[in-house]
Amino acid sequence: MFLEFRLAWRNVWRNPRRSGLTIAATVFAVVLIVLSVGMAAGVHEKMIEDAVRLRSGHVLVAGEGYLDHRTLEQFVRFDAELEQRIRDTPGVRGYAPRVMSFALLSKGQTTSSVALFGIDPRLEGSVSTLSGRVNAGSFIEAGGHRQIVIGERLAAKLSARIGDSLLLYSVAYSLETAYELFSVAGVMRLSDATLDGGLAVISLTDAQEFFVYGDRVSEVAILTDDADRAEAVRSALTDALHGTSVEVSTWDELMPELVEVILVDDAGMYLMVVIVVIVVGFGILNTILMAVLERRREFGVVLALGLRPAAIFRVVYLESILLAQVGLALGLAISLPLLLYLQATPIPVADEMAGVMELFGAEPVLTFKLKPLNPIGSTLTVIALAVIAAFYPAVKASRGRPVDALRSV
Amino acid sequence: MLGVNMAWRNVWRNPRRSGVVISAVAVGVAGALLAMSVTYGMGLQMVETAISTDLGHIQIHASGYDANPELQVRMLDGGQRALSVVSDAPGVRAFARRVRGEGLVTSARASAGVKVIGVEPEREREVSIVADSITAGRYLDGTERRVLIGERLARRLQVDLGDKLVVSVTDLAGDLTGLGVRVGGLFHTPSSVVDGNVVFLLLADSRSLLGLGDAISEIVVIGEEATGVDALRDQLQERLSALEVTNWKQAEPLLDYLIGFFDQIGYYLYGAVFVAMLFGIANVLLMAIHERIREIGVLMAIGMSRGRLATAIVGESLIVTGVGLVIGYAVAIAVVLAFRDGIDLSRVSAGLEAFGVGQRIVPVLRTDDFLIPTLVATATAAAASAWPVYRATRLRPAEAVRHT
Repeated sequence: MFLEFRLAWRNVWRNPRRSGLTIAATVFAVVLIVLSVGMAAGVHEKMIEDAVRLRSGHVLVAGEGYLDHRTLEQFVRFDAELEQRIRDTPGVRGYAPRVMSFALLSKGQTTSSVALFGIDPRLEGSVSTLSGRVNAGSFIEAGGHRQIVIGERLAAKLSARIGDSLLLYSVAYSLETAYELFSVAGVMRLSDATLDGGLAVISLTDAQEFFVYGDRVSEVAILTDDADRAEAVRSALTDALHGTSVEVSTWDELMPELVEVILVDDAGMYLMVVIVVIVVGFGILNTILMAVLERRREFGVVLALGLRPAAIFRVVYLESILLAQVGLALGLAISLPLLLYLQATPIPVADEMAGVMELFGAEPVLTFKLKPLNPIGSTLTVIALAVIAAFYPAVKASRGRPVDALRSV
Repeated sequence: MLGVNMAWRNVWRNPRRSGVVISAVAVGVAGALLAMSVTYGMGLQMVETAISTDLGHIQIHASGYDANPELQVRMLDGGQRALSVVSDAPGVRAFARRVRGEGLVTSARASAGVKVIGVEPEREREVSIVADSITAGRYLDGTERRVLIGERLARRLQVDLGDKLVVSVTDLAGDLTGLGVRVGGLFHTPSSVVDGNVVFLLLADSRSLLGLGDAISEIVVIGEEATGVDALRDQLQERLSALEVTNWKQAEPLLDYLIGFFDQIGYYLYGAVFVAMLFGIANVLLMAIHERIREIGVLMAIGMSRGRLATAIVGESLIVTGVGLVIGYAVAIAVVLAFRDGIDLSRVSAGLEAFGVGQRIVPVLRTDDFLIPTLVATATAAAASAWPVYRATRLRPAEAVRHT
């Protein structure tokens, strides 16, 4: 085995230029895979993180049927006991009760339909980043009365400024018409264009009064210590809340569209990676094949001297894998530090490209994320590539009859 | 000519080696073309959905609507003047008048914020696909107080055909008002935004609900040809100087940009594929020269010029790439033809419908899609042969002929 390894190693360096080109192609493939996968992971994680921190939380406690209908009819009674049970569940970092509905918001003769969030200003910050998005005025204050915070685009549409009175109109839980004047406390900037142009936030107590909702809430959004623990927290909560008529769901059930968008995007990226890998694979196949064909005579000699065909097969294979390993090592040495650097310094995106990202509900920033599966997957891909690409040349090399091979030039 | 002849023969002297490069080029080109055809098809569908459910090719509004799209910005004459111009204008296939407002729709169990769109049923049928997207009940037939809503909205409101809804709005005078209506039909379009957020009703109902009198909000126009929207807009704007005429690109600049954006992603892919290929082609050429050093030496000794030698090498590179390109094109065209009815993506339809793509993506190839890989491949082939050409032309005949 050692002999075969030495033979293979020397063969790699017998034609440094040829090997160099193959290694360069492998390095290119590795860098491309690691960075593409790293970017997709980063952007997707950011999309999920944004959506989770803006809306759903990791886990959601809501009334039965809320996921399908999302109306005032599906509710949870947010009393001291429920609050205590949620707070005592391990893995829960924060929780926020909310009333969610729709309303018309008017100023003067301009009206816009909005999604209305009623939030508890003391608890909301432990789950969502809504309060941090305010870029003019202030967020809903604890104890404040009839304050409303709206998205920037919505404010522009209504030409509403801080302190202006807006008329909120909707239908209450009692099915009576509800309308009330609210004063604009703040304007927030949300990257999701739909929300920015159609979200209004009021306090939970105002919302419960407005909708004649008592101590009911639509949902309790929960932030867990770690996104990966969402499932565990969900089952713990399901147990803790057993016997009450609530449904506990995780973020991926709450936002199936986001999950599918990510799926489509991933599919596109992997398609690209596969195409490049195949092209590089042909390159490696070619190099090994050439290396074998030009050594027919040499293989004939060693076969005649008694080396077994299986050994030749292994030498050729080792050569291919060594080439791939060198390329892989160099590729990882280049791409991993680069990826870590990009992970620490996200790239902001401007102009129309930013618009496209916002259209897809992402913030206009290219983020990168190194996940352990990325280098592992790249390594396996490149080794698999070398193994597949070397098969034909290796068979070809070991099959020759010594007599014929010796006569060839 | 001799150089080219030599190049052609060299390609086929070692068919296996050339074959591997040709396959690499073909796979790369076919893959990149297919990726572009799918993303372009997807972009086209997003545009097509927006045009056929909402925007039309051209929108005509009262002046100031683009900056401030509200109820007050309306055509007081009910669009009569604009209609007379539009109906005579060459290049117009169909047009329809609409009223647009925002409101809240309430069922016995739930409410939702919606766009309230008043339409003329027969004209609307010509400009929008909603009439052809009815899945239950009937399209607007002139019966008053009947509305069309998307299946998605119906699910959220928990209503079915014939159920009662109240549409509440702030009318032109700024007063809150409502209209009781019944669900006359349900539709399902490729856009979940339209399916979940729009109520269509008769123009007359919407006018009385919103207190508009004879006024309307907009006229949408479908042109004879989708490509002529810029010219059509200019022509209509010229004849309707008091009104605001926009085309869909101006109404939704992002959508227009999106197609270019998808193309950009496609170009990165080409870049990656051809860089990967560069190594492969260069490798093959170097090998080919390496094993022919002696032959090259002989040729040079008997008087072959370095120029011809270079032609032969570059030619070999170009031929190998060219054959790969043609095969790649053929494969891509065959696959696109095989999927001309669309690729079924109903598994992720919710994600796609959020952007108006629908459940099937029909891949579309454009002439430009072939131009760019051809240019890049040619450049790649030339670049890949640079080093081998340098190597070969620097050989000294006296040494080369002795090479073993």
